[in-house]
Amino acid sequence: MRHFVVAVKQVPDTTNIRIDPETGSLIRKGVPSILNPYDAHAMAVAGAWKQKMDAKITVISMGPASNEASIRECFEMGADRGILISAREFAGADTLATSYVLWEVLKKIHAEEAIDVIFMGKQAIDGDTGQVGPQVGARLGWPTLTFVNEIVSMDDEQGLAVIRRTTEQYRETVEVKMPMLLTCQKEVAAIPYASLPMLMDAMTKEIEVWGFGDPVAFEREKVGLKGSPTKVFRSFTPELKQMGEVLPVEMELAEKVTTAFNKVNLEKLLGVKA
Amino acid sequence: MSERRFEFDVIVVGAGIGGSAAAMVAAQKGLKVAMVERARVPGEKNYFGGAIYPHAFIDILPDFYERKPPLERPVTRAGVWMFDETGVTKIVKEGGALGETPAAEWVVLRSKFDAWWAAQAVDAGVTLIPKTVVLDFVRDDAGKIIGVQTDREDGVIYAPITIIAEGVNNLLTQKAGLAKADIKPEQCALAVKQLIQVERGDLEAFFGLHGLNDGLAVMTMGDSSQGLPGLGFIYSGASNVSIGVGITLNALVESGMSPQDILKAHLSHSVYAPLLEKGTLLEYGAHIIPEGGYRGMPTLFDDGVMVVGDAASMVNAMHFEGTNMAATAGRLAAETAFEAHQAGVYTKQQLAGYEKKLKKCFVYQDMKQYRNFIKWLDKHPHFMSVYPDFLNEVLDLFFTSHGKRKSKEYKKMLKALTRRRSLLGAVGDILSFAKAVLGL
Amino acid sequence: MSKSDKLQIWTMVEIHQGKADSVSWELIGAARNAVALGVESGGCGIEYDVTAVVIGEHVQEIAKEAISYGADYVMLVDDANCGTYINEVYQHALFEMMEEHQPDIFLIGATTQGRDLASGMAAQLSAGLTADCTQMVIGPPKEDMPCLLMATRPAFSGNLMATIVCETARPQMATVRPHVFVALERDETRKGKIVEFEVKRPFVNDQVKILAQEFLAQATGGIEFADVIVAGGRGIGGKDGLVLLKELADVMGGKLAVTRACVDANWASHEIQVGLTGKTVNPALYIACGISGAVQHRVGMQNSQKIIAVNQDADAPIFSIADVGIVGNLFEVVPEMIAQVKAMKSGMGAK
Ligand SMILES: Cc1cc2nc3c(=O)[nH]c(=O)nc-3n(C[C@H](O)[C@H](O)[C@H](O)COP(=O)(O)OP(=O)(O)OC[C@H]3O[C@@H](n4cnc5c(N)ncnc54)[C@H](O)[C@@H]3O)c2cc1C
Ligand SMILES: Cc1cc2nc3c(=O)[nH]c(=O)nc-3n(C[C@H](O)[C@H](O)[C@H](O)COP(=O)(O)OP(=O)(O)OC[C@H]3O[C@@H](n4cnc5c(N)ncnc54)[C@H](O)[C@@H]3O)c2cc1C
Ligand SMILES: Nc1ncnc2c1ncn2[C@@H]1O[C@H](COP(=O)(O)O)[C@@H](O)[C@H]1O
Repeated sequence: MRHFVVAVKQVPDTTNIRIDPETGSLIRKGVPSILNPYDAHAMAVAGAWKQKMDAKITVISMGPASNEASIRECFEMGADRGILISAREFAGADTLATSYVLWEVLKKIHAEEAIDVIFMGKQAIDGDTGQVGPQVGARLGWPTLTFVNEIVSMDDEQGLAVIRRTTEQYRETVEVKMPMLLTCQKEVAAIPYASLPMLMDAMTKEIEVWGFGDPVAFEREKVGLKGSPTKVFRSFTPELKQMGEVLPVEMELAEKVTTAFNKVNLEKLLGVKA
Repeated sequence: MSERRFEFDVIVVGAGIGGSAAAMVAAQKGLKVAMVERARVPGEKNYFGGAIYPHAFIDILPDFYERKPPLERPVTRAGVWMFDETGVTKIVKEGGALGETPAAEWVVLRSKFDAWWAAQAVDAGVTLIPKTVVLDFVRDDAGKIIGVQTDREDGVIYAPITIIAEGVNNLLTQKAGLAKADIKPEQCALAVKQLIQVERGDLEAFFGLHGLNDGLAVMTMGDSSQGLPGLGFIYSGASNVSIGVGITLNALVESGMSPQDILKAHLSHSVYAPLLEKGTLLEYGAHIIPEGGYRGMPTLFDDGVMVVGDAASMVNAMHFEGTNMAATAGRLAAETAFEAHQAGVYTKQQLAGYEKKLKKCFVYQDMKQYRNFIKWLDKHPHFMSVYPDFLNEVLDLFFTSHGKRKSKEYKKMLKALTRRRSLLGAVGDILSFAKAVLGL
Repeated sequence: MSKSDKLQIWTMVEIHQGKADSVSWELIGAARNAVALGVESGGCGIEYDVTAVVIGEHVQEIAKEAISYGADYVMLVDDANCGTYINEVYQHALFEMMEEHQPDIFLIGATTQGRDLASGMAAQLSAGLTADCTQMVIGPPKEDMPCLLMATRPAFSGNLMATIVCETARPQMATVRPHVFVALERDETRKGKIVEFEVKRPFVNDQVKILAQEFLAQATGGIEFADVIVAGGRGIGGKDGLVLLKELADVMGGKLAVTRACVDANWASHEIQVGLTGKTVNPALYIACGISGAVQHRVGMQNSQKIIAVNQDADAPIFSIADVGIVGNLFEVVPEMIAQVKAMKSGMGAK
């Protein structure tokens, strides 16, 4: 029986974000929070492969109690066990402190029940950093492949997987030995529509809550704000893209194009390209 | 998948105002209730003017206020704004009954209120099944409804009684054989609304309100519906204002005008300028109001099924009352379901008790009283433009003096009417209006 | 490397197919610029050396190139084990280097490869890492704090800008968004010292086997990483309208994209749709042809560095976020663009 772990984060829904122009900080009130879209697809691909091979899925999420809703959404997609890591001490964590907490939790789970594949999202749409995955992979010393957009095959006997990923430069097909860590793009799997039994079970299934002290003894100065080397010095709303010049229809065609190209100094850009 | 059967005592379709009410009352009486809602969170799909009337909710939750419902403002000032092209006559009542606390009417936002109202039902023991759409009914071989089919795999839910609270798109009411067809265009209105965010200070200055316990709800008519038959509304929220216009659908279709253009034209009226300057558009939306009234109502019950709220056309368009009707009907349907479970009988005859209960309360009586109102409004489209214009003109004349002989002024006032409507016609209008409103 | 009193800023050189990616030189420019800005605003008087890090196989030339782009030093690892980029191999090499020479600041390009490398390094060094920066200054001292790297980055899909600092952890790490900073002019006469570094305990990779690698320059798709995007909307009128736009994209070395209106009319595949239910792109240049600029489309491309909009309707919403708008018929404007780009490139070639 293979063991997959999916790490998910609950994030504010950035499509209707409101920023307080004076203080430059996020207006949290009234902004709904959702399961990070990339993490939903990471869970979906884990669920898909669970059906193809004999596997069990554990979902972990560090955050406030309200993260339960996102864990329940993962139950709908086939997660068997849900662990919420929640305590005051964890608040305000940057990616380093987050990856530390997840690393300690994953070590504990791995010790109890060996993990074969850890699935994460490409990035969280609030922080947009995409650092937690590779950081956890580096701490575990496991092969870590990011920007995965297809799992081609999983060989149960040999503990091998073949995955595809795209970067700016290339599309590559890679064979990886378990245990491994993958961060997923949206194309990796479609979000399934749960059956009614799955939905009903997901609503009532128990979610374990791990605090600061137990069952993992975290080092205080490595978690939350204390464990975060990066601090927000100042935040501000970006000045909205000012409306540029609109060249009227009457202007002569060639002149319009030249003016536009000069405005965006195309020559320099193409220069870089040529 | 597992051969699990989902069995409940009652299934409620829709977690809107009527649905949550029905589910809550059934659960309060100890029944096992499943409430199926297509939205992720109840309220996400719902949109209205508007204001609720707590009397219907207190009948279900005596500690309604203690549970801290998300209310925007009490309605302490209510009235009518009659628009003509350049001016407006504001007839607004305040104090007296409107000053009593707790208020008889509260402005709310549906996305917040419905979520809270459904949560009270879950609190009472209802099983809320979100993100799920009921597609059809499951019937026994005698054709009696014994459950519903949802859009999920293995998605059948069984119960001897289903209460339909699906709102104005009455697809399931038709599938249950209670309604013959979609609501006819002449039996409903399309309402379009903008929700505008305004700093509390600016909002209160504009409407003359003092603090959060002071709120305004007015009906708008005249130029607001650009000459088409319809009524508009203004509701003051905590730091937002809802301004909308409802036009009877057949008139709208015939006019070829688009709803948002009508609303945009209305909002460009000079009276709104100081408010809109300070406001930012939060959201805009539209929703159908069933106005078929008594005549538009479907059959309300059959073997194993009842229908409540908008799906049963339970709206009093004259007074903008729909939520109190839906909540009350929901309660009465749940009480009927409880009695059926006690008797162990779920036939049409048993469920007839629902309609009996409705006939004894305001829902039925008001529907009957206003049964001709919409047809009347449709036949007298000028009513909405002639009289507001006439009134505005008369008041213009009355309140401006240019040293002319008053007797001449009064002649002008009379002409202001006769130019638009013969005296006889006007008297006829008043009488027929009274008849339509009094349900004679 | 001589123990000069200067603090060190390391910049990672990203290599693909034996060539350095342009972001490598933008990092050096960014480092110099950050120091200069700091001095202008009453900096803390600390001087910095810029050290480029070159890891790969047969990469001596690239090391020299780094000097010509303004690096004072180059840390060079030229070894067969580092032929193709494997996360763990590069991290081990870097970790050993950093044990010997503690840089104060470490800048890496915010490419997929760069983000992986930086994250892994930050975890191993317990260092702070600011992602995808678009502004940098080595700030004036604040009360008791020494000079800090003030790195500003977009968050919440570009709705908020945050300036991040790492007060104590060293090195101060940051990944830098490509195409934002300007590289120094290349100057062969520049002097600099190349330091060969021999990895003592190289990481032997037996966990990851690259079965196939196809460079995207030829392949289609990948619009989310393109530098130049030519996007078509319903205004292109049909599939053949896309052919014209594809020609402009090709001649500019860019990629073709569409709005949902085109996908719904199945003139193009969802793979290249930009917007709320499509992809988010932030190219250096986005040319929107026949696109009205609905909010669901804008949310996918508003962060492009430069936007040219072509639309026959003067008050199409797209103009409100375009750096420059051309009111006109795209079937006239686009051919003119193709002609001018061709002229520009042949002109450039001759220079
Ligand atoms: C513009 C406007 C202004 C109004 N102003 C007022 C006012 O000021 N005061 C007032 O009292 N009333 C007002 N009303 C009327 C009031 O909104 C309705 O009468 C009331 O909401 C009806 O409640 P309901 O439960 O029947 O339907 P709804 O509140 O519409 O709820 C129906 C619910 O069922 C769900 N649903 C539908 N079909 C399915 C399905 N197949 N499967 C699962 N779930 C389903 C929907 O998602 C929805 O949540 C107004 C209406 C409009 C449009
Ligand atoms: C939930 C949701 C999600 C959506 N997601 C997306 C998404 O991901 N991506 C997306 O693009 N859309 C999305 N949409 C659709 C979006 O709202 C718009 O409908 C769509 O972007 C419009 O596409 P368009 O600009 O190509 O077409 P139109 O809006 O029809 O604009 C065509 C433009 O071309 C101009 N034009 C016509 N002919 C010429 C000519 N010969 N020369 C120059 N100009 C010309 C016209 O003036 C017009 O401005 C979504 C919508 C919804 C509701
Ligand atoms: N608090 C968290 N709990 C669990 N997983 C997380 C958390 N934060 C980030 N992740 C995972 O790390 C991925 C990248 O997040 P980020 O590095 O913050 O962009 C996310 O898609 C999640 O899979």
